[in-house]
Amino acid sequence: MSNPREPIIRFDHASFGFPGLIALQDISLTIYEGEFVGVIGPNGSGKTTLCRAVLGLLAPVEGHLHIFDCACDELRCHHRAKIGYLPQKGVVDRNFPVTVLETVMMGRYGALGLFKRPGRKDRDIALEALAQVAMESHKDNALGHLSGGQQQRVFIARALAQQPKVLILDEPTTGLDITAQHNVIELVQHLHDELKLTVLLITHDINMIRSRVDRLVLLKTRLFAAAPPTEVLKPEILHQVYGKDLVITEKDLVIVEDYHHHH
Amino acid sequence: MLDLLAYDFMQRSLLAAAMVGGLCSVIGVFVVLRGLAFVGAGTSHAAFAGVALGYLMGWPPLLLAIVFGLATVWITGWVEERGRMKLDVSIGILYTTTMALGILFIGLMKTYNAEVYGYLFGSVLSVTPEELQIIGALSVLVLGLLLLFAKELYFIAFDQEMAEASGVPARQIFFLLLTLVALTVVVSLKTVGAILVFAMILIPASTAYQLTHSLAALTLYSAAIGILTAVTGVLISALWDVPSGPAIVLLATTVFFISVFFSPKRVRRTRLAHSH
Repeated sequence: MSNPREPIIRFDHASFGFPGLIALQDISLTIYEGEFVGVIGPNGSGKTTLCRAVLGLLAPVEGHLHIFDCACDELRCHHRAKIGYLPQKGVVDRNFPVTVLETVMMGRYGALGLFKRPGRKDRDIALEALAQVAMESHKDNALGHLSGGQQQRVFIARALAQQPKVLILDEPTTGLDITAQHNVIELVQHLHDELKLTVLLITHDINMIRSRVDRLVLLKTRLFAAAPPTEVLKPEILHQVYGKDLVITEKDLVIVEDYHHHH
Repeated sequence: MLDLLAYDFMQRSLLAAAMVGGLCSVIGVFVVLRGLAFVGAGTSHAAFAGVALGYLMGWPPLLLAIVFGLATVWITGWVEERGRMKLDVSIGILYTTTMALGILFIGLMKTYNAEVYGYLFGSVLSVTPEELQIIGALSVLVLGLLLLFAKELYFIAFDQEMAEASGVPARQIFFLLLTLVALTVVVSLKTVGAILVFAMILIPASTAYQLTHSLAALTLYSAAIGILTAVTGVLISALWDVPSGPAIVLLATTVFFISVFFSPKRVRRTRLAHSH
């Protein structure tokens, strides 16, 4: 477990959504540099909204959000290039005619800015990112020809090509087989350890990440807990959020009913 | 055929066809990838309504075509952004409304105007030197902007939200793309006509889509297919005295079906099906 250092993301009584439809309400949460944070909560609890807020795709309707040392109360803040993002599967057309290397190169575009063409340096960064996810041998393959797990690795490489300080992953294991799920989580853990990345990982699979994360953030429109897993994964806390959908087995596995909500 | 090439009008139409073919097929790559196919169709009918109004009022038709085309794509883009209505519905409404306006404007004309029909069906063989200059200038403008913002355009075509999340001004780039589509349609009106311009945008890019998995190759193939079919179509049109618009489009369609048949993607799919 890494020691919390500088605050890197700070929600200060922040609410997100639209008037009459609040997705996240009165969130106060500080995430520190180098932390590995798991974000959990039932379907529709605002997990993705939290990510979109950190990405600068949503501005708080109330309260404040500070990212790095900037008050990002307005949209389109320029720190976004420092945040790598793996969106939920299904958002991207996986048959898009694009090679693996071309996909990863896109990670450089935001940082490069307008009017600048990617050069040798950007290509080297992209190739290094591919090496970090062990996909360099596939660089000229079509993205659509890869397995689901391999595609996730490529998308993680694209996020890494941004040379981010923060990595946000939205349900990275959904739709993957058990081995691929394990490999992706292993990879995220490895990147967190090696590159000292601050990681925000949204997932339904509490058991898969509970032994790896520094803290679990438990959401259901409001923030119910943000603490080490041992403090969060208690029946009395989880029941507040999951209600009767929650089962804790004798071996202390946490099972929630909407686990398979992603088809 | 060589005699034919000696005529000024023939040289002009081949040049116009090459430029329009190249331009449509390159912008077509982004249109196909970003899923804006129907926007192209809607815009071409809107632009035609502009042309008809221009002839009715004695105003410059191409200028009004640009105004109508831009208004259509911007309203469409705005509606999509607000998420108020499905994109195909809003375009469908604008499409038919502008077409109705076009027919109305033609109906209001006291005399039959063959030039207006030239914009509807395309008459590349009658392109004037002035029109060629306009086509050339607009082509350079659109291709220049495409080249300048190529990496951003690819990114938003792939995933607009991801592009925005990584610091690309995705919204502005999306509106730039819509604007370029409208300008391309206007440039192409005289050559292939309002009804067929859409095919010139869609078919070369879709043909190239069958042949490669690389973005860079996709654009190059599409441009090559677009230019070759447009130029060959004009030659066929002149040699056998058939209308140029349909000659170009039907030739492109033929190439498309051949590419589907020989597509490495199709071959792979078939192999996969057999192996299961």
